[in-house]
Amino acid sequence: MPPLLNPRLSLSLKPFFLFSQSSFAPRKFQIPRQFVSVKSRTFSSLASEQSSDNGGSSVGGGRSGALSPSLVTDEVQRIDVNPPKGTRDFPPEDMRLRNWLFHHFREVSRLFGFEEVDYPVLESEALFIRKAGEEIRDQLYCFEDRGNRRVALRPELTPSLARLVIQKGKSLSPPLKWFAIGQCWRYERMTRGRRREHYQWNMDILGVPEVTAEAELMASIVAFFKNWNHGIRCWF
Amino acid sequence: MPPLLSPRLSSSLKPLLLLSQSSLAPRKFQIPRQLVSVKRRAFSSLASEQSSDNGGRSGGRSGALSPSPVAEEVQRIDVNPPKGTRDFPPEDMRLRNWLFFHFREVSRLFGFEEVDYPVLESEALFIRKAGEEIRDQLYCFEDRGNRRVALRPELTPSLARLVIQKGKSLSFPLKWFAIGQCWRYERMTRGRRREHYQWNMDVLGVPEVTAEAELIASIVAFFKRIGITESDVGFKVSSRKVLQEVLRCYSVPENLFGKVCIIIDKIEKIPIDEIKRELNATGLSEEATEGLLQVLSIKSLTKLEEILGGAGEAIADLKQLFSLAEKFGYSEWIQFDASVVRGLAYYTGIVFEGFDREGKLRAICGGGRYDRLLSTFGGDDVPACGFGFGDAVIVELLKEKGLVPELSLEVENIVCALDHDLQAVAATVATKLREKGQSVDLVLESKPLKWVFKRAARTNAQRLILVGNTEWQRGMVVVKVLSSGEQYEIKLDELE
Repeated sequence: MPPLLNPRLSLSLKPFFLFSQSSFAPRKFQIPRQFVSVKSRTFSSLASEQSSDNGGSSVGGGRSGALSPSLVTDEVQRIDVNPPKGTRDFPPEDMRLRNWLFHHFREVSRLFGFEEVDYPVLESEALFIRKAGEEIRDQLYCFEDRGNRRVALRPELTPSLARLVIQKGKSLSPPLKWFAIGQCWRYERMTRGRRREHYQWNMDILGVPEVTAEAELMASIVAFFKNWNHGIRCWF
Repeated sequence: MPPLLSPRLSSSLKPLLLLSQSSLAPRKFQIPRQLVSVKRRAFSSLASEQSSDNGGRSGGRSGALSPSPVAEEVQRIDVNPPKGTRDFPPEDMRLRNWLFFHFREVSRLFGFEEVDYPVLESEALFIRKAGEEIRDQLYCFEDRGNRRVALRPELTPSLARLVIQKGKSLSFPLKWFAIGQCWRYERMTRGRRREHYQWNMDVLGVPEVTAEAELIASIVAFFKRIGITESDVGFKVSSRKVLQEVLRCYSVPENLFGKVCIIIDKIEKIPIDEIKRELNATGLSEEATEGLLQVLSIKSLTKLEEILGGAGEAIADLKQLFSLAEKFGYSEWIQFDASVVRGLAYYTGIVFEGFDREGKLRAICGGGRYDRLLSTFGGDDVPACGFGFGDAVIVELLKEKGLVPELSLEVENIVCALDHDLQAVAATVATKLREKGQSVDLVLESKPLKWVFKRAARTNAQRLILVGNTEWQRGMVVVKVLSSGEQYEIKLDELE
């Protein structure tokens, strides 16, 4: 029986080929003569990895900044298992919560007769340049793309909405009741331990000068807080 | 009262105070003397905007708008999204939501859990030295802290990273799915997209070909759900082990494997002589190149077995897959094709791609086994396989087949006050209905009934509810069922 690839995880794999990356298990079939030396290299690298890399169990229970490279090959690199500073991964349990939240955002939007829209997370930097000294501008996550254009990961959704509304021009029939759920970004020095991204639910009414629009918007947030749940259990 | 810092388009929270931007609506209240000149400026800027900017709304997509004469705060902006990216106005968003709903529903039916990762990752996650197209077109840049980062071109490396991170806390097998936006940087002369959404399903911890069979079954289920059949599309299936065995026969070193696969993947895209040249340049002998190309043209598993012999894993895996496909009932959907290698360096076993039988479109989806990826990141290897399915080609296919669904906005109720002082009552009606789970488009201004009917038609409203003085004096509202024209009065607390 071939040795287990990864004794910790208790997986017994079918033997596999030596690839450009390190391999741990021998092959089942007859190995052509010329590869025998390669096979020995495999076993010896396994042995030394077990002694130096803590049995390959560098996959610790917590978050380590980087992993030591395995001994074989040029193809293994040191990578950080954490998402970039200030960003989040959503493993299943976190994703369930996020889906539940977004489901309620969408449900309230639906109840108020709003239509969903979306725009690119990347926009021209110009869309966000306002000279009013806002914090949002100081923390703009901007950069130059490969074509030397100044672009930014959006800090908010409203300028994109404005851009799209202007673009669509006369084809739109006001009032517009549009909503979006989109990721927004900022660049802040990480010494403060703050997030660099978050998702934001936006609801906008365009074409109504009356305060009834603001009242409607506030009513929608109240409705969200009251968590009107109509038994729809399909938030996955 | 403090001035607003950031005027949002629709939020006139309290009367607008002087701001650094031009305001478009006149103020309702009495303007203090010292601001009168500012107000005039505001009005005059409104007037000139209306004449020069076509009322502030240009009819179609114009590249830029002419700046209004007032204020340094107005700038020329491009109304189009950045090159290669898309906006999703309501109609496009409905189609996207429909598609994603089916992605999620199939994932749910197959018992997969949803995950997500940042769209921005360290560039290091995508650096593989195999010459893949995905690497050439990486949308990378330096962030404000001079770190090399990239907008992800695919989701699999992030999955690998998260799995390594979670380590012992995970219980295998993992069946995870994600729907995420992926990016590439390509010269726009080709008019191609720079972003797309991709549905990914991955099975981790299962070394058997049953995992690949399950994944293909899920894509078949998805196609069937949206009306696509085996006469429209198919899957070409092969295994990287085929190439491995051939290369071994010609004593080609294993570390060239990834590069060879990437070159082979270009077979339909560049001339065969160019392929041969690139293979030779990588270090393959003429003999090896010829032998390889011959094997790649094989379209029958039996013929392949004749050439390679029955002992290898390539044949065994493929035979098992075809046998499982038969049991799952989707034999008609898959076929062996030795030329399929796919363009990612990390595949180690079965590879497959979905194709349009009329041959008009690019690959609809693609995937395979990648048992060796985690160790390239310094983690412990876990057998893994998965696929990616983009949102662009499938829509083109639906259009070709006339299967794009007709999705329109639909509200259940449109509620309108016939008299201005009944607006609050109308709001109460709306709240009552919404509490019961019904969608309501509440008319927020005094509008003529004709306008309301037009809007009801546009939003496919089922019912129109009118609050008028006459009826309200008796505590009633008027309900009109728009499909039948039926109309009746009802007490507010009996309304449902």
